[in-house]
Amino acid sequence: MIQARGLVKRFGAFTAVNGVDLNIDRGEVYGFLGPNGAGKTTTIMMLLGITRPTEGEVRLFGEPAGPRRTDLRRRVGVVPERHPRGVWPWMTAEEYLSLFADLFEVSRKEQRIAELLERVDLLRFRWKRIREFSRGMLQKLSIVRALLPDPDLLLLDEPISGLDPLGIKQVRDLVLAENRGGRSIFISSHQLSEMEKICHRVAIIFRGKLLVEDRMKSLLARLSPQREMHVELDRPDADLPARVRTLPFVEEAAVRGNTLVVKMSRQGDHRRDLSQHLISLGLVPLSIEEKIPSLEEAFVTITQENVLALAQGGPA
Amino acid sequence: MRGRMRVALVLCRRQVFESLVSPGFYVLLSLCLAISSALTAGFAASVDSSGFDPGLSPLYRLVSGAVSGTFGASFFSRLFAEGPLPFGLAVSFLPMLAFLSVTSVFRFGHERGAGAVELIVYGPADPTAYLLAAFLKDATLCILSLAALSAAVLAAGAFVHVLPGRLFVLTLAVVALASLAVFAYGALCSTLLSTVTSALALFIGIQLVFALLFVGGFALVSEPVRSVSFVAAAALQWVSPLFYCSLCFRAAEAAQGAELAGACLLLAVLSASLLAVGHLVIRETGVRA
Repeated sequence: MIQARGLVKRFGAFTAVNGVDLNIDRGEVYGFLGPNGAGKTTTIMMLLGITRPTEGEVRLFGEPAGPRRTDLRRRVGVVPERHPRGVWPWMTAEEYLSLFADLFEVSRKEQRIAELLERVDLLRFRWKRIREFSRGMLQKLSIVRALLPDPDLLLLDEPISGLDPLGIKQVRDLVLAENRGGRSIFISSHQLSEMEKICHRVAIIFRGKLLVEDRMKSLLARLSPQREMHVELDRPDADLPARVRTLPFVEEAAVRGNTLVVKMSRQGDHRRDLSQHLISLGLVPLSIEEKIPSLEEAFVTITQENVLALAQGGPA
Repeated sequence: MRGRMRVALVLCRRQVFESLVSPGFYVLLSLCLAISSALTAGFAASVDSSGFDPGLSPLYRLVSGAVSGTFGASFFSRLFAEGPLPFGLAVSFLPMLAFLSVTSVFRFGHERGAGAVELIVYGPADPTAYLLAAFLKDATLCILSLAALSAAVLAAGAFVHVLPGRLFVLTLAVVALASLAVFAYGALCSTLLSTVTSALALFIGIQLVFALLFVGGFALVSEPVRSVSFVAAAALQWVSPLFYCSLCFRAAEAAQGAELAGACLLLAVLSASLLAVGHLVIRETGVRA
């Protein structure tokens, strides 16, 4: 859907984006993560062809993107970070969507607007003025606007920023529903815990440089070369770790309260062997849970490594 | 280009609708009608058996003093040679021109700051479509208000038995063309400066400079002012709508049809050039304020 190669954007002496490569595939939910000021929005503007990159190229739906390729941009529904309340607050939701339906030449617009408003549970607010909408409602309205022309790709810039938990859940459900319907999704955000629940693949941008681009599971696995199992036991002995370490696949073991923490090789699934060994020692495993690092932990690790590399004078 | 124009027309339609349902436009139109009516009625009161005598009406005493003092007595005589209608039309339209152009610059800057241009650009068009929409909206409202004002001026003239002459039609055309150039300046200022106040200040400043140069060129009372104005005007006149207006009227007075058409064409070219520069500027500066 989108291929970007070697994107660089400089504003005078300041390099906002430095050599970014991205590849967004059809049907996936792609998370573009980074702290505020990392270069996310500048990259998005280049991906859409609105801003010309200083170096590099972008292909949108297989064709070179550029400021004049409005035909390509029409196939992308964009939900910007800012809400429509500041734009035309005096309009009703119906008027606002009707204007964009006209701009996008949407056929049978009344039906389409009603259908989309119904889908996000805003139909009863159709004639309410935008200035009276809550943040969550505004975000859903923005998504409806972006969906009007039935785009191939939905691009959301910080879609859950400032939303309450209910609003976040509604937007998440909406995004996932759109993706289940076959639509590709690109989400830019700095709220990692939420992205972890939605994205198939993520890219992390930091200080204008793309640090990593990978599938969510592979990224998290890569950051933790060992599998960490937490086994809840009734009364674990103090010498249990030493007895567990005798197993060939166990690399480290420790007891924390009633939990045995075992780090083991990623080669194969050894949960059955571990359980059998504990039972043979006269212990009953009450639960076995694999501890997977969170995206937040992954992000901190990756960016810290980068900061250290920079401090040591190496490449960021 | 087709897509850009289509988007511009959709946005223009929406903006014209919003202007027509808001009271501001009608308040200003009422003010313009009142001014034109007062000017026509005042002219009627200034005519007696010996003809037009500005001294007979307090309003025309004031108008005569101001116009003759600035532009000379012969200019005043030529201005009213065909009656009050051309002058009434041009003067009474000025508040509407100021209102339309200032609100347009304000709206452009405000909406750009709020992200409207960005929203348009994310989807079906480029920023030039927004620029064009603003200009087309101003042009539409200008034509609507000029039509209403002309009808009112003609009706008021008919009421006091004053018929419109050739100069009235010319004034109508020149005022419309000059207004388009003023609106194009507004659009250009909106693209050059991203904040509402700075764009408005630049726009008002430019129009004031043009007005001062125009008045300074005619002023009889102050020779130094006139000299400075002549020098400045020599450099700036080619971008001033008022300069082309005076070219049009001079050509009309001398009955030079080709020169008149050429001056009108130049006025249109000035508007188009300003819009083209605005297009290049917004393409470079981007859609964000």
